[in-house]
Amino acid sequence: MIPLIRLMRRLSVLPVLLASVTLFALMVLTFCDVVLRSAFSAPIEAATELTRIAIAIIVFASLPVLSGRGGHIAVDLLDPIFARLHLERLRDGIVTTLSGVMLLWPAWRIVDLAERARSYGDVTEYLAIPVSTVTWFIAIMTFLTAAVLIVRGLMIWLAPRLLWEAGHD
Amino acid sequence: MTDSLIGFAAVLVLVLLRMPIAFAMGLVGLVGYALETNFRGAISMAARLVIDTSQDYGLSVVPLFILMGLFVNKGGISRELYQVSNAFLGHFRGGLAMATIVACGGFAAICGSSLATAATMSKVAMPEMRKYGYADSLSTASIAAGGTLGILIPPSVILVIYGLLTETSIGQLFIAGIIPGALGILFYLAAVYISVLRNPAAGPAGPRATWGQRLAALRGVWSVLLLFGLVIGGLYGALDVWPIHLTFSPTEAAGMGAMGAFLIALARGGLTLADIREVLEETALTTASLFAVLIGAWIFSNFVNIAGLPEALANGVMEMGLAPWMVMALIVLIYVALGCVFESLSMLLLTVPIFFPLVTGMGFNPVWFGIIVVVVTEISLITPPVGLNVFILKGVVGNVSTATIFRGVTPFWMMDILRLLLLLLIPGLTLFLPSQMLP
Amino acid sequence: TETLTISSWLPPTHPINTGMLEGLVKMMEEATDGQVTGEIKLGLAPPPAQMDLVMDGAADMTVIFHGYQPGRFIGTQLIELPGYPGNAEAASVAYWHVQKAFLDKLDEHRGVKLIALTTHGPGQIHSSKEINTLADLKGLKTRLGGGVSAEVGAELGLVGIQVPAPKVYETLASGAADAVAMNMGERVSFKLNEVAKNVYEMPGGFYRGSFAVLMSQERFDSLPEDVQKALDEKVFGEPASRMMGAVWDQSDNDARAATEAAADNKIVTASAEDQAAFAEMAARVREKVLAQISAAGIDAQAAYDMVMTEMTAAAGN
Ligand code: NA
Ligand code: NA
Repeated sequence: MIPLIRLMRRLSVLPVLLASVTLFALMVLTFCDVVLRSAFSAPIEAATELTRIAIAIIVFASLPVLSGRGGHIAVDLLDPIFARLHLERLRDGIVTTLSGVMLLWPAWRIVDLAERARSYGDVTEYLAIPVSTVTWFIAIMTFLTAAVLIVRGLMIWLAPRLLWEAGHD
Repeated sequence: MTDSLIGFAAVLVLVLLRMPIAFAMGLVGLVGYALETNFRGAISMAARLVIDTSQDYGLSVVPLFILMGLFVNKGGISRELYQVSNAFLGHFRGGLAMATIVACGGFAAICGSSLATAATMSKVAMPEMRKYGYADSLSTASIAAGGTLGILIPPSVILVIYGLLTETSIGQLFIAGIIPGALGILFYLAAVYISVLRNPAAGPAGPRATWGQRLAALRGVWSVLLLFGLVIGGLYGALDVWPIHLTFSPTEAAGMGAMGAFLIALARGGLTLADIREVLEETALTTASLFAVLIGAWIFSNFVNIAGLPEALANGVMEMGLAPWMVMALIVLIYVALGCVFESLSMLLLTVPIFFPLVTGMGFNPVWFGIIVVVVTEISLITPPVGLNVFILKGVVGNVSTATIFRGVTPFWMMDILRLLLLLLIPGLTLFLPSQMLP
Repeated sequence: TETLTISSWLPPTHPINTGMLEGLVKMMEEATDGQVTGEIKLGLAPPPAQMDLVMDGAADMTVIFHGYQPGRFIGTQLIELPGYPGNAEAASVAYWHVQKAFLDKLDEHRGVKLIALTTHGPGQIHSSKEINTLADLKGLKTRLGGGVSAEVGAELGLVGIQVPAPKVYETLASGAADAVAMNMGERVSFKLNEVAKNVYEMPGGFYRGSFAVLMSQERFDSLPEDVQKALDEKVFGEPASRMMGAVWDQSDNDARAATEAAADNKIVTASAEDQAAFAEMAARVREKVLAQISAAGIDAQAAYDMVMTEMTAAAGN
């Protein structure tokens, strides 16, 4: 189990790398677009749709990793009380698992919507990139996020030591 | 109305159970929307918002402004900012704390987040103030309070999100934040002055810098001025002069700022490939967490919308015959109360969908209201018992109790309330600059 | 009473909300003796999501702009072509007729019930700089709405800037764009009188913009039969389309009056030579678009002729 978790951690480098490269490219794209427009009156016409796709990649490549690290924004106001009652683990386990499970329905629907976009022939304005491609990427990453949250939640609850040990290699 | 209030309570409970805000709002919004309409529709609504929010062109300013702040930080600019304000202010009583406030204001001009401003400045300013025997209460409080300027002085992630939630011009919001932000610096300087007046031992005067030292320190801040000038000048249309003609939308300003910060950090040397990777990774993960919250908030606000809360509130106000200023006073009081428990983003996301239609329906200016919301949000960051900036200080500094910090923050908090009243009573302070922006 | 939830993504004061959707609610109430009414909900989702919302029952009705979903709508470009004479009301009625006669075959609105079709009045160029001739348009950084307007923009030598409609004001104010292509009425909706003080007007317009009102088929089927019948006969189709076109015309007229009244605003009408020159460009665009529609499987030329004949007749009256 521990080697598996460690493998997952190593693999999580890949989506983070994808997000990082896309982010850097987005920065350069915006810069070039402004300079070309200001200096030569020749903006990159596809910049808007490329920007849209870039953000989708940045967000959804990062989301499973963020979820796996428990990095979502949360309020820790009652932490001391839960700690005193020794209910932290139970609470985090249930809440994390539940967060993962509730993602499954939208994830399935995103697949439907991707297929619908394909059947209607939706494409982007300038580059004619199929809308369904990006939507499928979002769907897959949403499923992955759900899976990561469910596994993480169950482990916090049932096997916290595994999670802890795997984190200290 | 009842449905919405139950939903609101459900979100509160889930959030207090430490469910991530994104999931708490998303779940309640989804279930509520399903009960108001049907399950299939609610799921589709949520799924579409996941797809569309993550491809919203306007939201690309979020990662780009975060990126700019992180690159700037890697370039060592925060330290130089502190050194230069110290060279000019350090020899006054409480001068190091005053220098901290000014440096926070300067750093806020290139960083969009209050937490990042506080965290960064605490690493730079705290050791100096300890060295000169400043009381922990004053030094931590000046950083915690000064850090809140991060979201008022443009660029500001909170103003961006307010603009996106309410379709208010982000450019105008940014420009509108400048005078209230400058006022904030002045008022905080006054708070330092009051603190050392009451307890002179809390902030002894530091050594006086020579003019030579001051000029040498000034040379370090050109990059901050350059970046701020580029971003705000481009937004304001001030760079639309021959032969540059640089004008940009907020998204583009963010992109230019990020690229500029990257190039400056690179030019100063010391920016390794590992640094770049770290900055990009942190930005991507922060972006993902913000987008998740935005999607959840939108789903929740759709539930509130379909359940008819905005209309019910507006009707209620009409029936009670409240004057607009009374409603505004009530809203501000609610914000200050909520500010005790909530941190900035969640407070904004929970309340703006409810209050905004009411406020604009009564004829208040959306840009002005945005600035008011950000100022009360700033106040929430240093209001006990949950003041995020105070916790940041506690986290970075370590051996100081939150009670000490909150005690030191009191004069700053009172100056904040004073500033809030001023902004409420004189809308021109907020709206003058944006009104000059129109061609 | 059945209350239909109508989702709209336009700004609250836009004529689509205040005139058309409110007007549609009134028509439905009158036709059904108050058995059916509607409630407009703003900002539930961005424009491209609207059709999905209705298809899956998250809302009962919505209005869509076809140009926001490139690839999905081909036949709807027919009404966007430049060169038709006449106002938005005539165009909207002719649009519904040609939909029934030809475009229905393409089944582009499959999955939902088509309630009404409309197009705004002639699209013109609104700019911060003064434009006096067709040649002045070359290289102008212009926000275009997609669909046929993009094709026309390419012919004119415009440089396309892509921003959503609500961002048009700040894009122009910041100088990131020099101009925007919109119908006259949007000068009021998007406060163009402040940031685009010059209008370069082509009689008949540079293009038009195609919209549709959609309803959930399931929701419609759930209504009592007599209500369904009343709606289908007295509201949906031509009556609703005509009403919407008339609202566009009214907004165009109001905005023209406001523009003429503003001392610093100016409307320049294209000269006879420029009109002739643009007619050639329009012919090229028409040929290209009709070829696309033909390829989708209908007699595009016949459909075009039908719209042209009907609108010429209406304009002659
Ligand atoms: Na800032
Ligand atoms: Na607080």
